Amino acid sequence: MRVNYERCGYCGACVGVCKDMALELIENRIVIYEERCRRCKGCIIVCPLKALEE
Amino acid sequence: MRRVLKDEYDVLVVGAGPGGSMASYYASKHGAKTLLVEKSQEIGEPVRCAEAVPKLEEFHITPSEEFVRSYIKGGYLIAPNGKKIVVRGGKTEGYVVERKIFDKYLAIRSASLGTKIAVKSRVVDLYPCEDGFKVKVVHLGEEYTVKTKIVIAADGVESSVGEMAGLKCKKNPMEVCSCAEYEMTGVKLLDKHMMEFYFGDLSPKGYAWIFPKGDTANVGLGVIDRGKKAIEYLNEFLEHPILEGRLKDATPVEFKCGGVPVGGPIERTVDDNIMVVGDAAGQVSPLTGGGIYLAMSCGSIAGEVAAKAVKRGDYSMETLMEYERRWRERFYNTLITELKYKRILQRLGERELNIIAEVMEDNLEEIDVKEILFKVIKRAPSLLKYFKDVVA
Repeated sequence: MRVNYERCGYCGACVGVCKDMALELIENRIVIYEERCRRCKGCIIVCPLKALEE
Repeated sequence: MRRVLKDEYDVLVVGAGPGGSMASYYASKHGAKTLLVEKSQEIGEPVRCAEAVPKLEEFHITPSEEFVRSYIKGGYLIAPNGKKIVVRGGKTEGYVVERKIFDKYLAIRSASLGTKIAVKSRVVDLYPCEDGFKVKVVHLGEEYTVKTKIVIAADGVESSVGEMAGLKCKKNPMEVCSCAEYEMTGVKLLDKHMMEFYFGDLSPKGYAWIFPKGDTANVGLGVIDRGKKAIEYLNEFLEHPILEGRLKDATPVEFKCGGVPVGGPIERTVDDNIMVVGDAAGQVSPLTGGGIYLAMSCGSIAGEVAAKAVKRGDYSMETLMEYERRWRERFYNTLITELKYKRILQRLGERELNIIAEVMEDNLEEIDVKEILFKVIKRAPSLLKYFKDVVA
């Protein structure tokens, strides 16, 4: 999973659906812990801005 | 700040939104030593919402002009064919506030009763210890371990803190509404004291809104859609013919976005030494997406219960269950009914929505769903299939 920081609105919606705890919002930056991600793509679905991509 | 993070507490509240500030207010008020931890460097930032709040008198908060931008008397529900239904009074009354100022106001109100606040302080982990939790907080790159008897997780849509403690707080992606909004100036409103709600294909499984906000208006929408994004729907809405050019001269002063959990409350909001409040607990109206009223109400209960538990010296799940019992008693049935209505609404196409709007009175004091459905079915019996869960 990758974050397009130019598009991200740092709202945290993606964090709220990440059951693997692979996402964290630190101030205005989404951080991905790749080793925890199980590619469920929930974060891609809820992102209002298309800021997440595989 | 560093001193605050080196102390021990009775109650540690995570997140300084309306839920967290109310929880810490009541915890402090009833004598608990309370710390409120906010990870942003500014309380109230970033704003993720349309900023409509209910009447505040119930919370003994004066609607000060410091944060109130518009007084709201009701709303227009606007069908895809443009038919407007006016709903006034009761629960539709309230305010549109400047959340950045409102949230700070609530935090200051809590601090005035003794709550200590740590900003730019992020909870990264917590683990149980005898008599409570050890909470790891990172502030300016340094890690602090703060001991507390009770944690109140009010960390909003992100819902990470309860999850760290083993409660299932993360939401299903198809139950989270993706929202995007421009705050604009130069908007021609239908009425400066009325909210506008638009339904139909312009915002699938959600709605679009225009909320008056003093010299500006919040123009936004929420959708649930696997394909197209909220921002794309929003850009189309700005030029939608249903607005009859009322945004022609409007220009944005702020962009906001967010996710709203509309799938109803989480299974359990309490465990030993911890309670979950607000968006994190799914305490959001599934129908409107409004969460401030519920977060403030449930936060107040959680704060009170926490302080009571501290006095008793018992922070077990059994004791803290009073919180869960009390908030469920007040809100659970309404939330479940709204969930049912929302699921029906989400299945309706524009044709069905137009029929419903057609049979509704133009002016309503209250929305009596059963009465409306009765009329709808009389007018268009083929729609019965959508409503059988409710009518039965």
